Amino acid sequence: MNLKRRDFLRGSAAVGFGGLTAGLLGSTAQAAPGTLDIFFNSDTNVVEFWAAAIKPAFEAANPGVTLNLVSGGGGAAMGALSERAFAALQTKTDPQVDMMEAIGPYSPVGAIEAGLWVDFSTTGLANIGKLNPAVINNKWSLPYRGSQVVMMYNGAKVPTPPKTFEELVAWIKANPGQFAYARPDLGDSGACFIERALQEVTGRNEALFTNENYSDDYAAPMFEKLWVLLKDIAPSLYKGGEYTGGNTPSIQLLASGAISMTIAWSDMALTAMNEGVVPDTTALAQLQDMAFIGGYSAVLVPTVAANKDLAIKLSDFLISTDIQGKVVTDLGGFPAINWSEMPAELAAKFANVAATSIPSFPGPWEAHLFDGWYRNVASNLTQG
Amino acid sequence: MADTLQGSTVTPSKAVPKGRPYGLLFIALPVALIVSFLFFPALKSIFGTIWVKQPDGSYGVSIATYQFFFSDAYSLANLAQTLWTTVVTMVMLIAVNLPIAIYLRFSKSKLAIFVQVLALFPMFVPGIIIVYALIRYMGPNGLLQTLLEAVGIFGFQSPYLTPWGPVIGMLWDAMPFTLLVLTAGMSAIPTSAIEAAEDVGASPMRILFSIILPQIKNSLLVVTSLNFLGLFGQAFMPFMLGPTSPEMMGPFMLRTFSSVRDPLQAATQATIVFALCSLAGLAYVRSIARRRAQEVVK
Repeated sequence: MNLKRRDFLRGSAAVGFGGLTAGLLGSTAQAAPGTLDIFFNSDTNVVEFWAAAIKPAFEAANPGVTLNLVSGGGGAAMGALSERAFAALQTKTDPQVDMMEAIGPYSPVGAIEAGLWVDFSTTGLANIGKLNPAVINNKWSLPYRGSQVVMMYNGAKVPTPPKTFEELVAWIKANPGQFAYARPDLGDSGACFIERALQEVTGRNEALFTNENYSDDYAAPMFEKLWVLLKDIAPSLYKGGEYTGGNTPSIQLLASGAISMTIAWSDMALTAMNEGVVPDTTALAQLQDMAFIGGYSAVLVPTVAANKDLAIKLSDFLISTDIQGKVVTDLGGFPAINWSEMPAELAAKFANVAATSIPSFPGPWEAHLFDGWYRNVASNLTQG
Repeated sequence: MADTLQGSTVTPSKAVPKGRPYGLLFIALPVALIVSFLFFPALKSIFGTIWVKQPDGSYGVSIATYQFFFSDAYSLANLAQTLWTTVVTMVMLIAVNLPIAIYLRFSKSKLAIFVQVLALFPMFVPGIIIVYALIRYMGPNGLLQTLLEAVGIFGFQSPYLTPWGPVIGMLWDAMPFTLLVLTAGMSAIPTSAIEAAEDVGASPMRILFSIILPQIKNSLLVVTSLNFLGLFGQAFMPFMLGPTSPEMMGPFMLRTFSSVRDPLQAATQATIVFALCSLAGLAYVRSIARRRAQEVVK
């Protein structure tokens, strides 16, 4: 009996060892040639758009090439992937990441200095001249789609939506418990709401915030004003000051009828309305005095990517007139290229939207803004 | 036969003198993996929290990040919240699973199999699905509220986004494991002992406290210590179901690392969590060691 057991252990250990070795070898193997591994920070509606509109067109135009679209699983997981690419750069190995979608180039710290990301200003993309200069945030991020944050509300309960931020604040206070926004680090819609509020308390001057000008001393007086405003509306929010855990949970609260208004991404809101998961009376509105902070999602290509050249080719493809048209028609987004480069009938149809610029907010500010929000607005510590 | 009896009385090391080097070889690979992929990075990270870059650019010993943590009301509130959630969830896990385990031990009906399958079911459902399902079920105007109102119970306060949200989510998540360990412990209780107690007229409560609980003490200790480790570091359930603030340490560490971009403070938080969790780990190791010692004596 003892012997048998020992044999069994020995056998299973051999199997285990074999499997482990195979696993280790597997993880050091090179990415398959012609397969582009693309990781998405955007929600699934964007991945579906890629699968339906971009993948077939690019693969048809480039025989032998496959796009492997992977949902990255949120900011922290995407951060881990950037770290992996950075580590691969330092060890000169293949990161098995060819493109990353909707993340900024500023993390991990030191990545830009070390040359982790492809500089699109020097790659000579054929379509780069079409890009709207206003949407270029930095030379490593290639913007390819814009979305805006909107008020998403139940028209049956809100007959006339607020037109200005001031009116929105007044509405929130007049309807306690009927409004919710997402925690800024978990849902960008929530981030855009507090960033718009920051614009409001600082006199709606976009020039105050740039990628380079953050310092604690410069920001502190502005943040102080922001905390006052956000703490002021907190008791009138859902559950007297509770915040949802992301873009989708915000829409879920609206769908269940627990609240009458929330802040959402235009593309996600449109998808939810098309799928009928929110009440029929759901509608969208944008502030007229200054639009909510929106943003352009960009792609990054690591310089160590195994399929770097193909990834750059795909980047160029993304900002072609054809794909940019699909961004508008299929995704409900905004083009990253100039409207003059877009098909004439599309440009005419969206003429009134085209005039609306989407204010953006610099990434390097967000880390401080979000942590300050947790400590000063979300925490009940100061309220006793 | 006599040989075997004699063999069992000598110490194990003398029984298999030539087995030793083999045994070490056997564990060499896993130990090497654990050391290189777990201990080394963890130690490096812990070391990194006290050996930090000074303002003048040189490196030196500093406990500034720990001083910050233990003087920061916000961080301490998060730690307290994590302890509260962990302890409440653990107590509820035992309260829910112990009766089921007792039932499964003594019931011989077909229903018992069904109950066991049902209790193990959460093991096969991914956490993210549970979270969204729970939001829809127990969230505001969800199915639970509708059902309660249908039978005339109004004033339901949804646990969603309150400290009870993650408790419920983690209760669901940790239930199968807890039940498996407890049923395993239960099956070791000899039926003869219970029958003997019944014969001398012991009440069911008396049997529970004098026979069952002492016998499964080790299982309870294992379940408590391992659950403590699992629950304490949970990140996903708390940030999807729990309140924005205070946060549990899991989401707090994640946020400090990725959103605040302060790896040093995140590593400090992780070291503090590690120190607390190693107490639970110690309890687990001691319980294992005690059982092994008992087995050797037997």
